[in-house]
Amino acid sequence: MAARTQRAGTLIRLLGNVRFQNERMFSVFSVRLRAAGPSDEPPKFTPPAKPVIVDKSKPEEAVRRFISPEFIPPRQRTNPLKFYLERKDMLQRRNVLNIPEFYVGSVLSVTTSDPHAANNTNRFVGICTQRSGKGLGATFILRNIIDGQGVEICYELYNPRVKRIEVLKLEKRLDDNLMYLRDALPEYSTFDFDMKPVHLSPTQDVPVNELKVRMKPRPWSKRWERPKFNIQGIRFDLCLTPEQMEHAQKWAEPWRKYDMLKEYDTSSLEEKIYQEVQAELRK
Amino acid sequence: MAVWSCRCLRLGDALLHRAAGILPRTGAGTSAEGGAVTGCVRTVKTSTWWDEHLTEDNVEFMKRDVTEEYRELTAAKLNPLKDEPWPRHAWEEQSRRVGLVAVKLGMMPVWTKSGDRHVVTMLQVQDCHVIKHIPKDEYDGNSAALVVGAKNVSPFYRSVEYLEMFQNVGVPPKQKLTTFCVTENAVIKPGTPLYAAHFRPGQYVDVTAKTIGKGFQGVMKRWGFKGQPATHGQTKTHRRPGSLGPGGDPAKVFKGKKMPGRMGNVYDTAFGMKVWRVNTKNNILYVNGSVPGHRNCLVKVRDSILPRHLAKNKNPPFPTYFTDGDEELPEDLYAEDVFQFGEPIPE
Repeated sequence: MAARTQRAGTLIRLLGNVRFQNERMFSVFSVRLRAAGPSDEPPKFTPPAKPVIVDKSKPEEAVRRFISPEFIPPRQRTNPLKFYLERKDMLQRRNVLNIPEFYVGSVLSVTTSDPHAANNTNRFVGICTQRSGKGLGATFILRNIIDGQGVEICYELYNPRVKRIEVLKLEKRLDDNLMYLRDALPEYSTFDFDMKPVHLSPTQDVPVNELKVRMKPRPWSKRWERPKFNIQGIRFDLCLTPEQMEHAQKWAEPWRKYDMLKEYDTSSLEEKIYQEVQAELRK
Repeated sequence: MAVWSCRCLRLGDALLHRAAGILPRTGAGTSAEGGAVTGCVRTVKTSTWWDEHLTEDNVEFMKRDVTEEYRELTAAKLNPLKDEPWPRHAWEEQSRRVGLVAVKLGMMPVWTKSGDRHVVTMLQVQDCHVIKHIPKDEYDGNSAALVVGAKNVSPFYRSVEYLEMFQNVGVPPKQKLTTFCVTENAVIKPGTPLYAAHFRPGQYVDVTAKTIGKGFQGVMKRWGFKGQPATHGQTKTHRRPGSLGPGGDPAKVFKGKKMPGRMGNVYDTAFGMKVWRVNTKNNILYVNGSVPGHRNCLVKVRDSILPRHLAKNKNPPFPTYFTDGDEELPEDLYAEDVFQFGEPIPE
């Protein structure tokens, strides 16, 4: 009996720094055991708690911080109250629908309700090529190739028709906008609808897929070699001559990065909104 | 001499007289310039800057004290006049209520329960008070009028006559004043605060504001003319108006011919816009579609005058929504078909 309480005591000490909830549970448990001691009834068998193994040799990793980009308001002279009210609605929606962390380059599957479909739902799988919009109007574009035909669907994040958003493969690419996949070979935007989700630990950093795509022959929908797009993920050496790459530099605007009016440092704003969002979602 | 003239301009009358007295003594060469100084002094000499005789500390104190006082006045939410409240009448057909003055915040989407998307403009009702009641015979003989103001401003840069109007009703001075024609049974005592709950979700409103100024524009942007082709041998004729009308018979350009000119910066009304949602805590109206005017501009909102919407505007809070009434409102009021973000996902 004493040995058991002692063991429970050591367990409490062991778990004390892990979770408060467990500690409370254990203290109640040991108190009950002690109270049961003096009475003659044989103590009821209670299975010992599952030991939690904490590997102290590794430093404890924090869960990676992520705030969805639509929470950051654009730089303009609008009353901040407007963005606050929008945030409140967004959080209310997020309490009902799980909107996971994802980036441009991640592979997602989205299930929406569709009154014209057979069983009222429609599922689409594709790579996220663009995220745009701020506040409640935030959107993202999924691209896939179905029966040899490129398909892009623009989804609204907060549309009530969206039933489920699932991340099949969480990764980033070299660029923040993958619209050039329209002009790339179809193999780069073909994804299987029955793809198995790839697990990524919440403490791990999001991997960057350094894939460089090969393009279809020109002309392209946009002149991706121009400096304003600043594209890293295209094998330009296969489709353009060095002279053409040199020629594209004619449209470089190297003075733009010195324009102080265009600087928009959101780090402090981001921190504030992150705290607010976390406090609201924890409720 | 230039320094002297600057100081003369800044200081009051007494100093000016002294300066004029000194000037002849400075020499014959400067007398002509002395005449120029008296010529360019402002003709209105009675008005002085309000802080002319105050130290900097006192100016600070005045500003702080007045802001504090006005904040209290607004927070009190009470009709500040001590006399009895005016009688309230019941709503009838043909009654016209007062409207609101609101600040345009921006736009956002809303969804209906079936998943259709609409865009709404958010209008915030900020410190809106009834300022003045003009009886029927004093106004135009047809209807009574109520002057409504919104958005508190500093009193230090307003004229005495303007401030007097607000002192009479005991509310802070307002940036914007507008007049609403109302029926006799809808008059409200001056000093009464107005809230966004004056309008209810599902009803229709008209919104009036000054449009964004576009400056001097050509006929293609201003009136939507087609212009001329870009190619096919056009010379210097791509965005021009073309002919102004027939030639010899009228032998004139008709009045009202659409021509290039100043565009925008005029009052415009958007008619028949549905109120989707009302936030009673922050006093926000969510009005369907776009509204004239730029962000943060003051707009005038009233019940729609379109005949097809009269049936939907029946039995509103009459003559307005009073906070001291027994009606307890939730924070958000929604029109019946709006999707509320907290509710579970519809099928």
